[in-house]
Amino acid sequence: MYVGVDVGGTYTDAVLLRNGAVGATAKIPTRSNLLESVLEALDIVLKDVDTRDIKRIVFSTTMITNLIAGKKYDKVALLLIPGPGMNLKYYDFKTDVIILSGAIDYRGREIVPLNEREIEEALVSLAEKGYRKVGVVGKFSPRNSAHEKRVAEIIKEKYPDWHVELGFQAGPQLNFPRRAVTTFLTCATREPYNAFVNSVKEALAKRNITAEVFILKADAGTLPLENSVEQPVETIFSGPSASTLGVEALTPPDVTEVAVDVGGTTTDIALILDGQPLLSAKGARVDGQLTQVRTLAVKSVPVGGDSVLELAGEEIVFRAERLGPAYCMGGPAPTPTDALRVLGLTSLGDEGKAREAMENLGSPLGMSALETAEKVTDLVVSSITNEIKKMFKEWEQEPAYRIWELLHKKKVKPSIVVGVGGGAEGFIKRIAQELGCKPVTPPYAAVANAIGAAVARPTLQLSLRADTEQGYYIIREDGIQEKISRHSFNEQKALELAKERLLQKAAGYGLKVAPEEIEITYQEVFNMIRGWSTVGRLYDLTVQTPGGIALRVEMGGK
Amino acid sequence: MQDPGNKKTGLIFFPAFDWAISPTHPEREERLLYTRDQIFEEGIMDLPEISEYAPVLAKTHDIARTHFCVPRVEDRITEAHLIAAGAAILLAEEIISGRLKNGFALVRPPGHHSMRVVHGNRGFCNINNEAIMVDYLRRHHGIKRIAIVDTDVHHGDGTQDIFWHDPDVLFISFHQDGRTIYPGTGFADELGGPKAFARTINIPLPPGTTDESILYIVDNLILPILEDFKPEFIVNSAGQDNHFTDPLGSMKFTAQGYARLTEKLKPDLAVLEGGYAIETALPYVNMGIILALAGLDYSSVLEPDLQDLRESGEISGYICRIVETHLKNWEKRDEAFAASQTIKGDFFQEKKRIYYDTEGISEYRSEKLRICDDCPGYLTIETSASRHFDSSGTALCISIPFTACSSCSAEAHDLYEKTKKTREYRYMYLQDKPQDIFLSYDFNTGKELRSEG
Repeated sequence: MYVGVDVGGTYTDAVLLRNGAVGATAKIPTRSNLLESVLEALDIVLKDVDTRDIKRIVFSTTMITNLIAGKKYDKVALLLIPGPGMNLKYYDFKTDVIILSGAIDYRGREIVPLNEREIEEALVSLAEKGYRKVGVVGKFSPRNSAHEKRVAEIIKEKYPDWHVELGFQAGPQLNFPRRAVTTFLTCATREPYNAFVNSVKEALAKRNITAEVFILKADAGTLPLENSVEQPVETIFSGPSASTLGVEALTPPDVTEVAVDVGGTTTDIALILDGQPLLSAKGARVDGQLTQVRTLAVKSVPVGGDSVLELAGEEIVFRAERLGPAYCMGGPAPTPTDALRVLGLTSLGDEGKAREAMENLGSPLGMSALETAEKVTDLVVSSITNEIKKMFKEWEQEPAYRIWELLHKKKVKPSIVVGVGGGAEGFIKRIAQELGCKPVTPPYAAVANAIGAAVARPTLQLSLRADTEQGYYIIREDGIQEKISRHSFNEQKALELAKERLLQKAAGYGLKVAPEEIEITYQEVFNMIRGWSTVGRLYDLTVQTPGGIALRVEMGGK
Repeated sequence: MQDPGNKKTGLIFFPAFDWAISPTHPEREERLLYTRDQIFEEGIMDLPEISEYAPVLAKTHDIARTHFCVPRVEDRITEAHLIAAGAAILLAEEIISGRLKNGFALVRPPGHHSMRVVHGNRGFCNINNEAIMVDYLRRHHGIKRIAIVDTDVHHGDGTQDIFWHDPDVLFISFHQDGRTIYPGTGFADELGGPKAFARTINIPLPPGTTDESILYIVDNLILPILEDFKPEFIVNSAGQDNHFTDPLGSMKFTAQGYARLTEKLKPDLAVLEGGYAIETALPYVNMGIILALAGLDYSSVLEPDLQDLRESGEISGYICRIVETHLKNWEKRDEAFAASQTIKGDFFQEKKRIYYDTEGISEYRSEKLRICDDCPGYLTIETSASRHFDSSGTALCISIPFTACSSCSAEAHDLYEKTKKTREYRYMYLQDKPQDIFLSYDFNTGKELRSEG
């Protein structure tokens, strides 16, 4: 049995999957104490279940989102080692920043050494300002983390109780400003996130639950709860991952589809291309700042079933605000749900009240209730379909750096539009019609997110970079650096090494992965030529365990 | 040229990581690798002032509007060339349409050594990205006056050849003295055809010239000339091999110098040309150019091995003199006919021998420009190329310029039709720029191909 729990902003949903079918579901309002919400939903679906039969539980929570949005963390300072290049005045890291001397280049060579006295002075000034948490971030540190590590050593010597995060671990991709932000957020959230994880563990133990527990990430992969504390920020925005995976589990395999999750005041859109959820080419934007957190390419449109409708001159417009439920369900203002009710596209609420809401809205424009309802539905549908079209276009126009990639970029067209979430039902037909697709509202659409969490597979990723001229390789995520032989090292060896390291890492996480399951997601080899002869090769590889969904849910619509 | 407002700088970064002339050639896969690392690590693509575009492929007709590829366009290029030319066209269109402030096509392969006729690769180039883009703008956007400033260490002989007779395209190139570097041309007395005098300006520089002298030339020669010429669009052929670490050039230019130059020149579009110090120069020079185009502070873009670079007093003296000479040439630009002795009857004639270093091809050309009082006149080129004693036969190329008068157009078409009846040549081409038609005729098969834009 698999259990999925998705703690959303408004509702917490849970499902129990038994033999590939939905066994129980729960939907409760999310309370201010997240742990309480998780446990309450869990207890509902686990009623009458022998906890020993549960194989896996996957949580998706707004824990980190709430922490960051509410700034509920201790202050964090940044020690940056940018070296020459971009002027730092263009970045606002929203905290105290001290610039240290030192520089590493794109191949990991030291250009400028650190100045230890300067570091000590920086630490004194941070201590005076009351900082106890510091992110240390160097430009090109994923290519050589020696500077970051040395600064960490000095901090450990002088201030052993400080909490230090290093850039090469928190932000291993090439992008220094995003690395700084990601390191800051990691440093800020790790402690409170740790506390959350511990209380989840305690609560599960109290219920004699011994199943493996995972946490969903923004890229639709999962991490064992234990290990998620290493990269807490990656668990941000897992809600859209949950509903996208849910759509994947509830619809046929290998299709190109659009997942539309219509909520109260926002609609989330995700794309699934040939059965694979589309990842964003760049990291997530968190609290207005760009990070290196891998995320699905999800777009939010500020309109939902409960958005408030009003007149702006001669135009009907919606406000991205909820004053309560729809008018037809006893709410104070006309909403898109009222329009759907008038058009017979939903059976929610009272038809007479819905008609009244539309009449009140449209009469100053001389429109009947029916005309107004049509107009409102068109408005909502077009704002959603415009965004969908834009997403496909953006995907097509994503930069490519190889001739092969550019020539093989093809136009894709979705075949189905899948509606999930409370408000989807009424709109989905019209959205599909507009896009020339088939509309699908699968059974259990309202808890598709929890289903998605339940079926999410654990994923691990590892990047290896080898430079045979300098004679070493590094594992980017772990900062491991070891020597290699300049002459006998080759692409095959690089690949074997990466796979071996990934299997080791998986074993450390308690994951069973077969070597043949490992996917190569990035592979690049360059000859380095100086003068007219080859002096070495650069290998860049990323391998991962297969992601996606563990199973499809029966009765999953078509 | 437009009001910059808060428009962005467009960037197409196409390193062609799967294209090389040969595995150890300077123009190989690795060339922009470290530039990519630097640009990505600095977060340049995230800046609100920058907008990144994916390139598109140019059409073969876009190539034929500018070049005579023998025997056909498809035989002389690969997809990589169409992508590089397509990138320049796409950015130029976005700029002309007012959607971008300016742009930089950071693409390879380069193109400024490609001339009007293309028998193969010369100086790492097959087709001329800038010239193709310029002709595209003139055809599709009615742009008339364009300036191309070539800042590569090598003379932009291909661009010079293409616009030699064109009074509406100003070509300015500074480069290391042709007596000391490929392609061995670009001397101060190469000033353009009889109807386009001083629309070609060459500034050969002694080895060892520094930022200071180059910026002096920009301030005292290039900017005043641009001010007079009033181009609607400025292109920079942004070669980066004047850098003090370049393995092919011997100059002393720095990343700061290139950034200052870009800031002063304010090109609408910069297109990458050469530059082969792939580790020590390109990551920094490219970044300097991008920041300068975007109007951002580039003062901390410094090469790790930057030293105090000085030039001899002799160089500074020479620079002052050549600036003086060219300012005088520029003043005389409308006093027509530079080399009247070569005009026979209605035609101006020239013979040229062109060497294709990459492929060991020798091309022999005989050119005739129709001298006309109403327009720049149509041009005919008889060309034959031999590769290791193996001759391809002679081709006749006829080019009608954008601003041709109706009688020159008619005469050129007549010539094409009459020649079809002879057996003098192996191939014949007619490039009618005003009507945007390209005809090619194969004398062996009697087949004619026609393309239209």
